[in-house]
Amino acid sequence: MPWSKKRGQRTLGSPSAGIAGEVAFSAAAFLSGVFGFSLVLISQYAPQQVPEQVSSEALSSSLSSWVMGIVSIAAIVIGATRLVFRVMHLNASDELRSVIATKAAALERLAPGQSSDTGLPNVPRGRAITDSPGEHLTYRLPMVTGQDGILGPALLAWFWNTAWIILLAVVVSGFWIGRPRWILTGLLVPFALIGRWSFLYFVTQMKQRLGVGPTVVEINDHPLKPGGIYDLFVSQAGRLKLKRLSVELVCEEETFFRQGTDVRVERHQAFGKYLSRERDVEVDPQVPWEQQFRVEIPKDVMHSFAGTHNAIRWKFVVKGDSRPWPSFCRSYPVVVHPPGSTQNLNQP
Amino acid sequence: MEELQGLEVSVLWHTEGKGDEDLHVHHFQRINEASLKEIGVESQQSIHCVLPATPLSYHGQLIRLSWCVRMRLFLEDGREILSETPFYLVTDAQRAPCVAIPGEDDESHEPSQDKSAVVRQSRAAQTRSALASLRRD
Repeated sequence: MPWSKKRGQRTLGSPSAGIAGEVAFSAAAFLSGVFGFSLVLISQYAPQQVPEQVSSEALSSSLSSWVMGIVSIAAIVIGATRLVFRVMHLNASDELRSVIATKAAALERLAPGQSSDTGLPNVPRGRAITDSPGEHLTYRLPMVTGQDGILGPALLAWFWNTAWIILLAVVVSGFWIGRPRWILTGLLVPFALIGRWSFLYFVTQMKQRLGVGPTVVEINDHPLKPGGIYDLFVSQAGRLKLKRLSVELVCEEETFFRQGTDVRVERHQAFGKYLSRERDVEVDPQVPWEQQFRVEIPKDVMHSFAGTHNAIRWKFVVKGDSRPWPSFCRSYPVVVHPPGSTQNLNQP
Repeated sequence: MEELQGLEVSVLWHTEGKGDEDLHVHHFQRINEASLKEIGVESQQSIHCVLPATPLSYHGQLIRLSWCVRMRLFLEDGREILSETPFYLVTDAQRAPCVAIPGEDDESHEPSQDKSAVVRQSRAAQTRSALASLRRD
């Protein structure tokens, strides 16, 4: 009917483009604010650098200086708030964030001695692994991303480019008053290159978050035991053209050691078994890549172990080498018990 | 005998390798000077303890997990004499400790040919029979 409300799923542009535009606008507002505020500060606290034809008294008390300062601070606050909000909420619904927050509070730290009540000292309980039922198999395994978070690259790009903008303001003010700072001017170029790299790195990470859909891994039984055979279901969603996609069972030794005042961590893959290695995989939003495998845990392997400085961790790793999105690597930890153990940690 | 002040016997596991050491004493027994004189040191003594199901002995690339019986003798002049006898903690299905298995397509996962590990295995095998009284649950 011509007067009824228009219905349908048509949207103007893609959501990703909207998010990218919002991020770009927020970043531009923030950096403009920093630039303007830097100029105000220079004029206020370095009056000797103000051009001779302009009275420093007039400048410090001028209304325009105050207006410029207030507008700059407002731009900084608005830009920073929107930027942080948008980056923190990338690719996550309110429900997902709530679940993650709840899980993070309840997620068991794989610390030593926690399983002594089950008769398996220094074997992690992994109760958080089995608290989510699966759709195809019994348990849906929780994910631990092997990739870095987006907050680090965002902060790096943010702080570095902010510092660069301040430096630019100082250089511009130097030219303005007729006393150019040539060394600082020369430094602007290499600093700009570093700022460009940090920004591109941030964009790469953001693209990865936006482009790679969720990976679901489900298993029919847990904990695992050496010699046991298990069903594993893996699903990769999103809109991807993957050059390679692999699913691997991995046992990793992890050790912490002190080197001077630093605490370092070293990892070594003690066991690895590919369950799937496919090339040229296409994933469509309507048709996710789905596979079910049978996994046999070898008989003579070490069980999961968690000491204070050393650990042996088992996990399923899903790796994708994708274009145009960057590669991704997602881990799904599991607990392997020693052979012959009868403890069922899924019981309360 | 007059020089002896005390004796500690412990059954423990500890880690060796690149990382900092983890150590857990499973069984501990201290014999003071009077008891030591009463028991004497000439005769053989046995200790009994029920070992836990885990952690099992393991020889990996970065981590080695070893069980041992450690005896620490305290002398009157403050000196200490330490003696350690390693043994394997394995399951009924195993005859040797777990080792790191090389992964597919990864040349860095070659099994360790570390001489010291071989020596330890040999020593552990020799001492296994001597520690037959240690029972696993």
